[in-house]
Amino acid sequence: MFDTITITDGVNLHVNETKQFKTVSIAIKFKTGLTAGKAAARSVLANILQHSNENYPSHTALRMVLDDLYGTSLYIDATKRGSEHIVSLNVETVNDQYLSEDGVLEKVLNLMHLILFKPNFENDLFKETVFNREKNVVKQRIESIFDDKTRYAQHRLTELAFAGHPASISANGTITDVEVLTNEALRDVYRSMLTEDRIDIYTVGDLSAETVAAYIQRYFPFGSRTPESVQQHPEIPLPAAPRVTETEDMKQGKLHIAYTSPVTFRDEKFPVMQLMNGVFGGYAHSKLFSNVREKESMAYYVSSSYSSQFGLLFVLAGIDQAMDEKAVRLITEQLDDVKKGNISDEELGQTKALLTNQLKEALDSARGQIEIYDQYMNLTPEFESAYLIEKWQQVTKEEIADAANDLSLHMIYFLTGQEGEPNDE
Amino acid sequence: MNNLHFDQIDETLYHEQLDNGLDVYILPKKGFSKTYATFTTKYGSIDNRFVPQGAEEPISVPDGIAHFLEHKMFEKEEGDIFQQFSTQGASANAFTSFTRTAYLFSATGQVNENVRTLLDFVQSPYFTEKTVEKEKGIIGQEITMYDDLADWRLYFGLIENMYQNHPVKIDIAGTIESISHITAEHLYTCYNTFYHPSNMVLFIVGAAEPEEMMALVRDNQAQKEFPPQQDIKRLYPDEPVEAVIKERSLRMSVQKPKVLVGMKPIVKDLSGREMLKHELAMQLALELLFGRTSDFYHSAYENDLIDESYSYEFSLEQGFGYAMVGSDSSEPEKLADEIASTMDRAAEMWPFGAKDLDRVRRKKIGTFLRALNSPEYIANQFTRYKFNDMDLFEVVPVLEDMEVTDLQEAFASISGSEQRTVFSILPSKKSSQ
Repeated sequence: MFDTITITDGVNLHVNETKQFKTVSIAIKFKTGLTAGKAAARSVLANILQHSNENYPSHTALRMVLDDLYGTSLYIDATKRGSEHIVSLNVETVNDQYLSEDGVLEKVLNLMHLILFKPNFENDLFKETVFNREKNVVKQRIESIFDDKTRYAQHRLTELAFAGHPASISANGTITDVEVLTNEALRDVYRSMLTEDRIDIYTVGDLSAETVAAYIQRYFPFGSRTPESVQQHPEIPLPAAPRVTETEDMKQGKLHIAYTSPVTFRDEKFPVMQLMNGVFGGYAHSKLFSNVREKESMAYYVSSSYSSQFGLLFVLAGIDQAMDEKAVRLITEQLDDVKKGNISDEELGQTKALLTNQLKEALDSARGQIEIYDQYMNLTPEFESAYLIEKWQQVTKEEIADAANDLSLHMIYFLTGQEGEPNDE
Repeated sequence: MNNLHFDQIDETLYHEQLDNGLDVYILPKKGFSKTYATFTTKYGSIDNRFVPQGAEEPISVPDGIAHFLEHKMFEKEEGDIFQQFSTQGASANAFTSFTRTAYLFSATGQVNENVRTLLDFVQSPYFTEKTVEKEKGIIGQEITMYDDLADWRLYFGLIENMYQNHPVKIDIAGTIESISHITAEHLYTCYNTFYHPSNMVLFIVGAAEPEEMMALVRDNQAQKEFPPQQDIKRLYPDEPVEAVIKERSLRMSVQKPKVLVGMKPIVKDLSGREMLKHELAMQLALELLFGRTSDFYHSAYENDLIDESYSYEFSLEQGFGYAMVGSDSSEPEKLADEIASTMDRAAEMWPFGAKDLDRVRRKKIGTFLRALNSPEYIANQFTRYKFNDMDLFEVVPVLEDMEVTDLQEAFASISGSEQRTVFSILPSKKSSQ
């Protein structure tokens, strides 16, 4: 799918030359070990870099240039994967051939260069007003999780269930970590990101590897580096309490359950766990959906998801506030069914077909290609969709049952409403 | 079968209207392994008063019925249609909006089987009192979930402020009370009125061979019998120009206030190219006034009146529409005042010229071309446009012909202060952190 070229030590370029899209997509990913403090700093940094730079000192000036470049989309995000923190500069621009003017791509590359290498500095620090403003924005982003009760419940579950473990660290860090961040510290984080992080650069579009390599050397002169290898398997601590209920002023109960599995992304049984999750609660044909929602009519959404980096399985359900006991019992019954190997040929076939469909579909977008390859190249550098599809085909019901039996219930979290006063004013 | 080639964007669209009235569109996309198909009826939550097929007098049906019907289409005597799609490697879904109900799947294999399944399940209603009763629990949980979603309450609160009589002010899913009145007979009445092929569009985009696919659809439809369709009579109440409620707020469990300012357009029942032009002109005008390069945005951002949740949009259908601007904000009143005064100033003296228009036009064209990478965007937008007699592939030419006065005229239809309203959500006492 991608041809990989080593630009220098620790900096790799991955090129997919294709006519599939009317656009050219570029992503530059900076990767380093995850800590809460670094996550906070790098989130603020992502915002600052995307806000302005030396040549375009205001947000408005920068956005006007992007508008002029046919609404080129450009954003920087901060995410995490396992114990790794990733800052990505993502760009999608129209391919020149659909426009009456040439040279748009080079202008875009030049703008990306300015964003990364010519920040909006004042006395060797980020411009103070921008620094404070963007700290505030990231703080507000973290706070806003509270407003979406499904996200908030999941946030609380991971916070309580994995305290002190990287699984509990948010990609934006905590409010306190953002508050204590100084301009000097951020400048150091910025410099180390450019000089020490492992860097993966992606392009998808009608551009050859040679063309892209020449552009990269010209616009992004990254030096060589020896990135630390990131430890992926810290031990998961036991939660302080196995079951927690919290209340907020709301109407629906949010039931979130965490299980742990010894099988992680790098384990050879990884494809088995993907199927186990699919049969249990990953799809509309799954046991959770067909029994808890369709047969019992007790939830609008109920599903499971497998977070493979640390071997975690989550169940999420929106239920009637008084029904948590019954819901936990029904969910446990469905899991017991999988453990006993009560899986029909149809369920097995459906799950394999949908995993395959989902993967192939994701590869129909440039961003999907980049994200999937960026994860799976760690399994095999020659990653193609056929690699996983083949593995899924071989999985048996017995293996799925075994994988389910290896799960341990880790924690049950319930966020529920309480009797409130009428709230219309 | 007709085909239309669009040089500028290098796409070919195939179209045929079948004998039963169904419009079928196929847009092959080179290099895609996915096929995305939508089967959509022009029937949404606002169609709650109409003359049923075969009758003469109009009836009113319970709120939320179009959405309820959407849920029930998936259940058949032999079982759940999701199961069949899964067996064929497809993920299926559906949604109901104010004006449409769409059924869809996406798949990377067994496309012919999946297209047949889509056509067949939507064209074979099966409702019993028992299955209708069972669904009330599931939809009840869906309604409760939306009740807790602050952003949804904000959006709907604003629409309720704008509209006095028009059913757009009713939540798409209805209420737990209103759906309790729904019966299987109601569902059949709505189905028979609105699910006739002549009121529907099938759109297939992605990996598809047009000749073969069209033959499959033609053949499938030829095997089914449909009664002749009389014109659908939908009844909508009169609606004043003014926003009904000027200002209102609600307390919920949120960390920071949320506010939206709405502008109710002077609706003129536009359709076709005129509607397309008006809609695009309004989007460009709002982009200039409230977009990320506007003076308003710059000052509101620097003064901490808005954050990343800031958004603005304009939506127009036949008979209703809305423009809205807002954000989470620690100073919701001040933000609402700034938005209002930005509107007033622009109404007094239009501040934008040809250069501004040119910039936002380029942005809009680029954004549109990027969106054409997405099969979902193409199918859903094309269908929405088609139901309003607009053509998705006219977007670029209409944008190219746009003039500054068009933006000004469009803006004039939302700028009156009596058309304006403010809705906010404030933190409940317990949840202020």
